[in-house]
Amino acid sequence: MSAMEKSGTAVQPQEFHQDIAAKWFLMSSVSYFAIVAIIALIIAAKFVWPEFLGSIQYFTYGRMRPLHVNGMLFGWLLAADIGLSFYFIPRLCGVKLWSEKLGVATAILWNIIILGAVFALPAGYQKGLEYADLPTPLAVLVVIAWLMYGFNIFATIYSRKYEQMYVSTWYLMATILWTAFVYLTGNFATLFTTGVNQANLNWMYTHNAVGLIFTPAGLAVAYYFIPRTSNTPLFSHKLSMVGFWSLAFVYVWTGAHHMLHGPITQWLQTISIVFSIMLLIPVWAVVYNFIASMKGQWHQLGENVSLKFLMSGTIFYLLTCFQGPMHSLRSVNAIVSKTDWIPGHAHMAVMGAFSFFAMAGVYHVVPRIFGTKLHSETLANWSFWLFLIGGLGMFTSLWLGGFWQGWQWSTGNIKFIDTVIALKPVWVVRLLSGVLIATGIYTFMFNIWSTALGTKLPQGESAAV
Amino acid sequence: MLSKTDKNATLFIVVALGLFFIGGLLTTVLPPLLDKSWSKPFENNDPSKGPTGKLVQYTPLQQKGYEIYIREGCKYCHTQQTRTLLSDVTSKGAGSGWKGVDAPVSTPDEFVYDYRQTFGTKRTGPDLSRVGGKYNRQWHKAHFNNPRDLVPGSIMPPFPWIANNPDELDALVAYLQTRGRAKNWRPDNDYEQ
Ligand code: HEC
Repeated sequence: MSAMEKSGTAVQPQEFHQDIAAKWFLMSSVSYFAIVAIIALIIAAKFVWPEFLGSIQYFTYGRMRPLHVNGMLFGWLLAADIGLSFYFIPRLCGVKLWSEKLGVATAILWNIIILGAVFALPAGYQKGLEYADLPTPLAVLVVIAWLMYGFNIFATIYSRKYEQMYVSTWYLMATILWTAFVYLTGNFATLFTTGVNQANLNWMYTHNAVGLIFTPAGLAVAYYFIPRTSNTPLFSHKLSMVGFWSLAFVYVWTGAHHMLHGPITQWLQTISIVFSIMLLIPVWAVVYNFIASMKGQWHQLGENVSLKFLMSGTIFYLLTCFQGPMHSLRSVNAIVSKTDWIPGHAHMAVMGAFSFFAMAGVYHVVPRIFGTKLHSETLANWSFWLFLIGGLGMFTSLWLGGFWQGWQWSTGNIKFIDTVIALKPVWVVRLLSGVLIATGIYTFMFNIWSTALGTKLPQGESAAV
Repeated sequence: MLSKTDKNATLFIVVALGLFFIGGLLTTVLPPLLDKSWSKPFENNDPSKGPTGKLVQYTPLQQKGYEIYIREGCKYCHTQQTRTLLSDVTSKGAGSGWKGVDAPVSTPDEFVYDYRQTFGTKRTGPDLSRVGGKYNRQWHKAHFNNPRDLVPGSIMPPFPWIANNPDELDALVAYLQTRGRAKNWRPDNDYEQ
């Protein structure tokens, strides 16, 4: 029996776990998701009406954008992944979370950080490094929170009942370890460097924030919830090892692909290209494993909202990680880099793939830890379709627009401002897609809060898998 | 060895960090040791080797403008790198060249004094790596006040709190006028003040 099977509710009833820390993290992350969705709409609207909220400095584009990025990455996605890990790690280890108190303290600190960012960034206190925009005092708090979280998880893992660790456990341990160093590099090591050297460290961080923080955290979630929500075993343990260790080796080399053709050493650009192509190995190993696990189970998609999110997330993961290596090819990069194509790509990763995984987890976990029933299956389906259709609208409009823009630049005889004017219809479509996405997020938030506040089921019944 | 890592957490930690550090160190610590142009300011006196000139430190006024550039997140819409592509060097299309002269390609030694890298990832507005001297203070003032007054169809945000604050305007313009100026690439020094 694998650790995954042993961790079933048959071994420990739901009541065995307290899940207080998980509740804190999940409910705050869902709330920030909704709050930051407003910021997202504001900046999308500014592309259509540049004067919109334009003369108030706190709402200017260049201050709202880092708030949007950091709010979504740290307020929603990372917090949701942390909350989910507080749920599945104890279950995979067959023990209680090492300390619920420490977990709640971490959640409170996390909320202080996010609220701090909500005031600091619009006030203009941004550090000036992409993804590492939080001013240094807040970044120090992030490090402290991360140590508290990491300690709690590792202490749980070291006291586990099952010797063999399931793949979600490895991915999560790796997330904690890598994040520590990736975050320190991007937020602190950068401060001791200038120019290209700083940019190189910044890209190492930015790229690995996605590759070595959100990817392993998101895959930990998907590896747990795909078998769990569909009640089927994982296709292959061996393949999951191939995927994991190739990710561990390959990802960190690719930072310089953000500066292809730019002022950075040629051989470093070439190395980043070679390793970017190799990224296809871990991605295909993971995706094959997910899809193969679903064999004979596809009929479940119809009635299982979590599974819908998980499988669409898998497809987006496959696509976004096909785009990535292709963008690294010099010829493709020459067209798409610096255009609107790139935000289309970036959103497919963190919103398409990893937010879909996290939402699946939240839908599965929240009724269980609060001992209630999901408030509404219908609304859950609505949130899925709104998110999916809005997402596709946004990705495709930005790809088409970005490609067109890049092509216009490369002709060498179209003035810049004409390439701006040409894209205006694209930005209208993006805004409308954003409205659909935001509606999906509000439906999700409403559904989850109503579930959490709903009437408790009698003990025992809530534990149904 | 890898097959044991799913039972032994300590072994797992060692291997996961080990693999990470190989790539991590080789791509971050090694390159600046090997490529001196990352830390040696640009200087060239020999016209046969390309544009001449010398990179100098920012003055306090320029530094103040630099900090405003960071504060307002200008880098989220503007890149500062003339890449080795026609789209970037050209003066006839959307590139950073102007008044009929193509811009020289950016090199690492032009950015040595930059306390915050401003290379950027997104070109919602044009590249600014060679904008120094392209417009005068008056133009920038009007442009920051409302970009659409000068460039119809622009989606750059207005910055009235800068345009109407002479100290901040002077600082920001002083910073912008340094962009790309380490290399004297203009014929007859036709830079605006
Ligand atoms: C929302 C994106 C956006 C932001 C933020 C932004 N700009 Fe712009 N900028 C543009 C666009 C689009 C243009 C091209 C149209 C125009 O000239 O107004 C432009 C043009 C410019 C130009 C003229 C470049 C040329 O070669 O003609 C300068 C200089 C400039 N911006 C400086 C700044 C500064 C300084 C800031 C920060 C205080 C800033 N911009 C913030 C979008 C932006």
